[in-house]
Amino acid sequence: MHYMTPEYKMVGFKNYAKLLASRDFSQALSNTLVFCVFSAVFSIALGLGMALLLEKKFKGKSFFSGLVFSPWITPTVAVSLVWMWIYDADHGMANAVLHLFSLPGLKWVGSSKTAMLSVIIVTVWKSIGYNAILYLAALEKVPRSLYEAASLDRASKWGTFLRVTLPGISPTTFFLAVISTINGLQAYDQIQVLTQGGPAGSTRTLLYLYYQLGFQQYKMGQAASAAVVLMLAIAVLSALQWALSKRAVSYR
Amino acid sequence: MSKDKAINFIAFARCIKIGFIAICAALMAFPFAWMVLSSLKTKAELMSGGWLPSDPQWLNYLEAIRSPLLRNIGNSLAISAASTAYQLVSGAMLAYALAYMSFKGKGLIFALIMGSCMAPSAATYIPSYIILSKMKLLDSYTGLVVSSLVSVFGIFLLRQAFMQVPPSLIEAARLDSASHWRTLWKVVYPVAKPSFAAFVLINAIASYNSYMWPSLVTNSPDLYMVSQGLRHFFIEGGAYGTNWPLVMAGSAIVVLPLLAVFALLQKWFVSGLSGSAGLKG
Repeated sequence: MHYMTPEYKMVGFKNYAKLLASRDFSQALSNTLVFCVFSAVFSIALGLGMALLLEKKFKGKSFFSGLVFSPWITPTVAVSLVWMWIYDADHGMANAVLHLFSLPGLKWVGSSKTAMLSVIIVTVWKSIGYNAILYLAALEKVPRSLYEAASLDRASKWGTFLRVTLPGISPTTFFLAVISTINGLQAYDQIQVLTQGGPAGSTRTLLYLYYQLGFQQYKMGQAASAAVVLMLAIAVLSALQWALSKRAVSYR
Repeated sequence: MSKDKAINFIAFARCIKIGFIAICAALMAFPFAWMVLSSLKTKAELMSGGWLPSDPQWLNYLEAIRSPLLRNIGNSLAISAASTAYQLVSGAMLAYALAYMSFKGKGLIFALIMGSCMAPSAATYIPSYIILSKMKLLDSYTGLVVSSLVSVFGIFLLRQAFMQVPPSLIEAARLDSASHWRTLWKVVYPVAKPSFAAFVLINAIASYNSYMWPSLVTNSPDLYMVSQGLRHFFIEGGAYGTNWPLVMAGSAIVVLPLLAVFALLQKWFVSGLSGSAGLKG
């Protein structure tokens, strides 16, 4: 591999101009946005749902939380292979379930219409457990006195959830939103196994574009420009988290 | 009487809730179960549908083990152990300096560490690749380990834990004129043990599972780590249509031991993760 040589010449912002003008880049940008937003929203909402279910003490609680958490520790490549088989258009489990409800089967990773959905499902499934564990810890820290006050006020269950629980766990929600987005910006393993960015670039995120430019097409300059765009996005998100977490702490 | 009814109703509600939890857990665990079930079927049986394998094909596992997969697992174990051990020692030393010593430029060093903690690791791949190639370490075990000797996340995790150690303990060790090294391992370590455990678990697993970076810097199949090995295994059969039972057996060989380790150490994982919230950014 000799695609990087010690000689170089300065090209100014040419690499950026080339990258930003390409159709691949704008497609990758919107794919990244869709991927990050949907996987973050669903994994956080479902993680909170799981945590609320697991909040009370009951027999077998640690077994159940173990099950929910287990996808997080297993290699993404291994579980993506399992999902590949589940998504198999002819004999896969996913279509068998759809047929059960007499719905037509989908092509899943094989069609540019559903490939992104397939990747998001795997990503959400893998991260629900992590989010649930963090939410469980956060739920324990909401002061009991607030719940007592709410029940004295005869607040409804839903009202208590909206006015006591949600604000109490909002620092965790915010933390998870930022972490999920950062992880989404850096997702590679599941995309590489399930779709390789395809079909027709429909699952090519900014990071995957960076990989293809740099390590498949050996356009190191443009790849590095893509990495800088990615870094800027993450820097902005991290700064946002930093500023808001300071504010959240000063409330206490 | 009405009290009994109320208790019955509560018991009923509990049953419903536990049933619902069981369904959710089953949905989460379903891919693992499907993996094991599929791994025990013949290729023909897989195509014809049905739930349980009629005649479990344990030979699939034998065949999967005969592939280089075991070597890949060995590679992953060795690289993960070596880099985590080094990360732990270097991280503990740096965190110790940041937590207990005062020196010029400490703030700057901490800011640098925080900054690189937030930078996406993929963005460092091009420069890291160039450095490794200049050191002639591409496609080697040494290169794989050398490129992950330091974990900035770990330094931060340990520093936060060290800040919680009562200063009187450190003071006492200093009065006894214990060396820094001794203070770190005899005084600080026993108090901060849960954070050390979280550090080891999180970093060892992340390194064991790592995929993108190793696949960029290694070329020879002998050096493949688990994830690369599995992917290769999967592509190999591609020409004749994927041999799903075999791929599933391979995945199971990789995934099941990890799940077993997790089941044994679940408590440490959970406490470590909850403790790390608000740290990693």
